[in-house]
Amino acid sequence: YRTRQDEDKRRLNCYPPSTEANPTLEDPTPDYMNLLGMIFSMCGLMLKLKWCAWIAVYCSFISFANSRSSEDTKQMMSSFMLSISAVVMSYLQNPQPMSPPW
Amino acid sequence: IHIANVTCVVLGRYNDDFDDGEDLADFADDNDFAEFEDVSEDTAAEPETAPPPRGAPPAQPAEDDEDEATVELEEDGQEDGFEDSDTQDQDMYSKYDPDEFDGMEKPSQSLKDPLIIHTVPAHLQNSWESYYMEILMVTGLLAYIMNYIIGKNKNSRLATAWFNSHRELLESNFALVGDDGTSKDAVSTGKLNQENEHIYNLWCSGRVCCEGMLIQLKFVKRQDLLNVLARMMRPVCDQVQIKVTLNDEDMDTFVFAVGTKKAMARMQKEMQDLSEFCSDKPKSGAKYGLPELLAILTEMGEVTDGDLCCGLLTTMVHYITNHADKIESIHFSDQFSGTKVVQEDGQPLKLPETKKTLLFTFNVPGMGNTSPKDMDTLLPLMNMVIYSIDKVKKLRLNREGKQKADKNRARVEENFLKQTHNQRQEAAQTRREEKKRAEKERIMSEEDPERQRRLEEAAQRRDQKKIEKKQMKMKQIKVKAM
Repeated sequence: YRTRQDEDKRRLNCYPPSTEANPTLEDPTPDYMNLLGMIFSMCGLMLKLKWCAWIAVYCSFISFANSRSSEDTKQMMSSFMLSISAVVMSYLQNPQPMSPPW
Repeated sequence: IHIANVTCVVLGRYNDDFDDGEDLADFADDNDFAEFEDVSEDTAAEPETAPPPRGAPPAQPAEDDEDEATVELEEDGQEDGFEDSDTQDQDMYSKYDPDEFDGMEKPSQSLKDPLIIHTVPAHLQNSWESYYMEILMVTGLLAYIMNYIIGKNKNSRLATAWFNSHRELLESNFALVGDDGTSKDAVSTGKLNQENEHIYNLWCSGRVCCEGMLIQLKFVKRQDLLNVLARMMRPVCDQVQIKVTLNDEDMDTFVFAVGTKKAMARMQKEMQDLSEFCSDKPKSGAKYGLPELLAILTEMGEVTDGDLCCGLLTTMVHYITNHADKIESIHFSDQFSGTKVVQEDGQPLKLPETKKTLLFTFNVPGMGNTSPKDMDTLLPLMNMVIYSIDKVKKLRLNREGKQKADKNRARVEENFLKQTHNQRQEAAQTRREEKKRAEKERIMSEEDPERQRRLEEAAQRRDQKKIEKKQMKMKQIKVKAM
């Protein structure tokens, strides 16, 4: 049984949420993965290493999966395209299949 | 004659000296087809011998074309020759004079040299099997994408389930439920704000006793395959974090925390207010009638423990005991300023801004393998949150407690000021020097010598006054000391 007092503890003056970004809550993973992806794709392109290019593709996927929704999609797309181009270029220059390290 | 010439050519390869066509003709005459038989044997043996076969195979068709009658026999002879060629090798050579082959390498030696068959490079082989590493990579990528989609959907379903079970309670308590902060005014969106694929926010406001409440659903990263694999080694829980910010009049001055032992140890190190005010080690919950696994950090010592902590805990104890497995930490503080900020050297510090806050961190049952149904079990905890908001408003320290609290806060402020004293002095000194420099520049830049002189005199007078003031102060201090 609810009394009138129990009802409406609500007030009309509402505050908007604070928009400060809490630095402790921010996860650095997508930024690191983005950077790693770029480094690996540059290595793959310059040194013509196929495995570097493949790792770059993986890094860019991981970065995308961990990214915040407020982040720029252009950044994600550019890193993704760079890694794909690294893979394609490595195979065009040397169509031989990748040999395992063992 | 044509045939004879051809045979001459054929046999001539073996011995250039053997150019006597007549001998050949005699030789051929003995047996009508003897020449052909020998020729066929010779030509059959050619591929295996060292001297490269030059014209024999083309010569043979020529012969065949020439004499139709002999074609069949020749073919037969050829077949025989090919089949028996190995065995006939030695026979063939025994017919000839060994002296004929002086200086020539014995063809049989070449038969012992191994034939090296080079492997065709893999990319020319036209088989997909050689690209197995690439296929593995692509399969891995596909698995990652599949896991991303599945994980994202699962998190989304959990969030929706949580919101559906809590919506009624929140809407009955708060005027504003769900505001993503994009618009300047507070607008109620009525739904969760997705920050990430695994973090969902909800801001509620418009209630007596509090300014607002931020709820964060921090799920496990189900969308990242690496994280999923890491969780197989070390299981992690989904968490619900609730932060209630209170108005200044809603809470008395105290700092208090209860939670798992690990969480308390960690928070005492990390949190600015807990490390400053709660210097004692976490006490076991058993002292206050709580389950063993919980520990308590309070500001007050033993003296006023009974008054505040017990009062607070007795009201909440049935909630806490029933749901002890889901409670990670509960933190009430009037001096909350977040975690300890790593301070750079040489920067003048100000006391961090504090806000009266209640923080709750709950673990979702299931240890990562949660289903949407589990979200209903968190509803009583939300009830506890609302209840504690109302309770904290009514909770007041007694006189002793208040005195102690005030003393603590004064002590903390003093310590802080002492620490920063040197830095603040340096900052003040630099400011004073800059002011003087600016003044001097102004004086120098004055073109009119009269004005310059006047400004200089004014500056001198000001300096004199300052020195006199200081001297007065020193005298006063000396007098006081005496």
